Amino acid sequence: MIHPANLEALTSTDLRGTAPMICVTAGIVLALLAEIAPALRPARGLAFVGSLLAAIAFELRLVADPAGEVFHGAFAASSRSATWGVLFCCAALIAWTYGRRYYKEEAGHVAEHDLLMLCSTLGMMLMAGSRDLITFFVGLELLSVPLYSLAAFRRVRATSVEAGLRYFVLGAFAAGLFLYGSALVYAATGTVSLAGLHDASLGSPLALVGAALIAASLFFKVSVFPFHFWVPDVYQGSPTPVTTFMATGTKAAGFAFLLEVAFVMPPSSAGLIAAIAVVTMALGNLGALVQSDLKRLFAYSAVAHAGTLLLVVAASLAGDPRAAGPVDAALYYMAAYVFTAGGAFGLVALLEADGERFTKLESLRGLGRRRPGISAALSLFMLSLGGFPATGGFLGKYFVFSSTLRADLVWASVIGVLLSVVALGYYLRVILTLWMLPEPEGERAPEVRRLSATLVTGVCAAMVLWLGLFPGWFLERFLN
Amino acid sequence: MILTWLTFLPLVGALALLFTPAGSEKLQRLIALLTTSVVAGLGVVLFVGFDGASADMQQVTSHAWFSLPAKSGTIEVAYRLGVDGISILLVTLTTVLMPLVVLSAQKHIDKRVKEFLFWLLLMETGMLGVFLALDMVLFYVFWELSLIPLYFILGIWGGERRLYATMKFFLYTVAGSLLMMLGVIWLTWQTGEADVRALLNGVGDLDPSTQLWIFLSFAIGFAIKVPVMPFHTWLADAHTEAPTSGSVILAGVLLKMGTYGLLRFGVGMFPAAALEMAPLFMGLGALGIVYGAFLAMAQNDIKRLVACSSVSHLGFVVMGLFALTQAGLRGSVIQMVNHGLSTGLLFLLVGMIYERRHTRDFEQYGGIASVMPVFALFFVLSMLASVGLPGLNGFVGEYLILLGTFEASPLWACVGVAGVIFGAVYLLMCTRKLLFGAVTVEANKGLRDLDAREVGIMVPLVLLCLWIGVRPNQFLDKTAGSIDALVTRIDAARETRTGALELHLPQAPAAPAEAQR
Repeated sequence: MIHPANLEALTSTDLRGTAPMICVTAGIVLALLAEIAPALRPARGLAFVGSLLAAIAFELRLVADPAGEVFHGAFAASSRSATWGVLFCCAALIAWTYGRRYYKEEAGHVAEHDLLMLCSTLGMMLMAGSRDLITFFVGLELLSVPLYSLAAFRRVRATSVEAGLRYFVLGAFAAGLFLYGSALVYAATGTVSLAGLHDASLGSPLALVGAALIAASLFFKVSVFPFHFWVPDVYQGSPTPVTTFMATGTKAAGFAFLLEVAFVMPPSSAGLIAAIAVVTMALGNLGALVQSDLKRLFAYSAVAHAGTLLLVVAASLAGDPRAAGPVDAALYYMAAYVFTAGGAFGLVALLEADGERFTKLESLRGLGRRRPGISAALSLFMLSLGGFPATGGFLGKYFVFSSTLRADLVWASVIGVLLSVVALGYYLRVILTLWMLPEPEGERAPEVRRLSATLVTGVCAAMVLWLGLFPGWFLERFLN
Repeated sequence: MILTWLTFLPLVGALALLFTPAGSEKLQRLIALLTTSVVAGLGVVLFVGFDGASADMQQVTSHAWFSLPAKSGTIEVAYRLGVDGISILLVTLTTVLMPLVVLSAQKHIDKRVKEFLFWLLLMETGMLGVFLALDMVLFYVFWELSLIPLYFILGIWGGERRLYATMKFFLYTVAGSLLMMLGVIWLTWQTGEADVRALLNGVGDLDPSTQLWIFLSFAIGFAIKVPVMPFHTWLADAHTEAPTSGSVILAGVLLKMGTYGLLRFGVGMFPAAALEMAPLFMGLGALGIVYGAFLAMAQNDIKRLVACSSVSHLGFVVMGLFALTQAGLRGSVIQMVNHGLSTGLLFLLVGMIYERRHTRDFEQYGGIASVMPVFALFFVLSMLASVGLPGLNGFVGEYLILLGTFEASPLWACVGVAGVIFGAVYLLMCTRKLLFGAVTVEANKGLRDLDAREVGIMVPLVLLCLWIGVRPNQFLDKTAGSIDALVTRIDAARETRTGALELHLPQAPAAPAEAQR
């Protein structure tokens, strides 16, 4: 705990450790200033991209040379949290780029959109590096509150408003659960810092209930059974760029902390967590099978992926919770997922900007002939989501199942693997629609072309292949 | 180095295709033909230079790829390619078959030619990679990679029920290969080794029940691919709906990936577990022979008949493999090639007649021999090769397999012999219905015979069938060193066999986390 007597001036380590967050904050300030000073408006996009790129640069330095605990142990700029930070910034950049010209009626409010997205990113960075429950909660709210408004950003559309409201009500409930859980844990152990909790005895019923409440609130954030029911509606109703951000960034942030804090749960709960993971995968994959709307299909697939990642949490509980293996697996999986799902959702956003019916799978029949670029990229992302070799998704899946097998969760691995066969059923259906079905007659195919989207799609596809073919690069640079 | 060229030259060709302008089909076909021909040339050079007496991997290339933590130490996953007596024949077969497949696609692939050739070339990279990979992870990557091209080939250029067939084929095989992935993970984690060469000599330290579990996870994946009997239902649909070129590749090479896997990673890596499971697999193989033959007898569709005959012929290969005797293994290896040649030929011929008449129903044929004598000649030759007439290739393989199986289990050998007879029955029946008798259908009277291109595709394959039939030792000798070494390992495992190999469920972990707390 921070004691007033310890409050001294900022040290240079504090500054170095929080430099990425300072960059993002600077971006937020610039975005606000641009609203007041019209002369600055043309530079708004530059401020957004610039601040995030600067943050990535600082994070990369921290990966190589971590600053360790800063602000009296409230926040840790470890190479792990810095890696998560890079992923959050990438997720924001991807979502933002695909979101350009997406908004029609709301075009006048794009500044708010950028601002909220930066706030959310800042919240994620704070969550991933937080070393006590209070710092984490601040990060969580900084992430969530802007996202509630972002989900409702297309305020002329009832579905968007409904998505925002739904997300808000359930999110507020989850936040309450978290606070209540932390209070109970504090009552049982007398500390809220993770280091303190490591040394404390967590066996008392009070601490157990607290841990369960904390886990439940995080399960909500990462959309895991039985707290995943909001996902399809919110993902479908929200503006697609926001969905992109939610699916990649929020999930990564939730898992980043979930893995840090997993040790508050007793090791004997590993089996239960694995069972929840498997049920989540089953519900997500079976739900996705029957969807005809791409956004909804990807929403269910996002639930399934959350289930897969939860297997890592179970593995980390069953083995030594502080061992690096499972966390590394999760990081690799999420790294691949940010670019894969980012690209997949993003392409939907791009198509949707051309007409709302283009989120229907049906309307993309035979698109492969007319728009080979988009179709090839989307197919690549589908293969990566399905975990096919030569894509990052494959190695992510490989590492995840390695960690569960090592933790002797053989049954969960086998069921999980078989469920990913089900998943291929719908990923292949997308590919099949794009390439193997005849084009619809008399209907307009999406015509949209945008340089920024082409670029970011190219980057995502390249990253997916790079992570699949040259994993050594990521493993050595980020996970050693 | 030659192996890297062999594997990735088709990929280069495929990428080159992407840069050709739309509508330049002649150029695209030329690029594909040139690429596959050069690869075939390399394949032949490799074959000629291969030292069959040695049991070692030859032409090994190795580059570090990435490393993973293992139970103790790290797993060095690397890009490792190499060829030995078990893979050399299949590699050469693949390379030689591909230019012929490209040629055969001249007529029946008339839409989206560029895409088709792209997938064809990509598939060649995948298939050669499977046969050449000497690293567990690399092998798995190529294994899965070879699925995608066939998925597209079946799904875009297939017959009426193609979407159903592709989905079935894909999900079936993926289910098997994902279980195999768990086996790969577990094996590499336990041994700390991803190098196939080391694993072929070094898994003896694993405890027997672990060996058996890993063996089973591999065997199921491969058995689905072969397909061994209870898993065979995807094959008939996939074959029937595939375009001719797809069927030829499927029968010629892709199914061999399953038998190759069983041989290399099942029997080769886990001889002790293979000994335990041998009666089961030998039985499944033998039953597959008979069951496939019965299925084939019941078909009215020529292509489906050939597809079912594949189930029967591959039953022989599996039975021979799990006889675990020298003759059985040699027979299996050569029979893999034989089946590729003779079934490939039959699919090509069925495709040629289908292009002319657009039906595969026996009712619509009869008396074709009088209209298309050259076609009839090739059909009879291929059919006899498939039946196993002495002097042609099929005889050598089947004879060796039956000999080897008889040593291990006279019962299954007898069942296998019955299969040979049934095989003769359905293939001769098929020939009679198709070729002989009077021409009853008016449309058949004006059929033109095979042209030079079609004959050109057939001739090399028929010559190979004859060559293997007359001088089998030139091919068998290439495999001798590796197979002898394998037999030595199997015999060693047989001697140390305690009979106590059982399936144990993994023990629950002793809660290490609790202990540390």
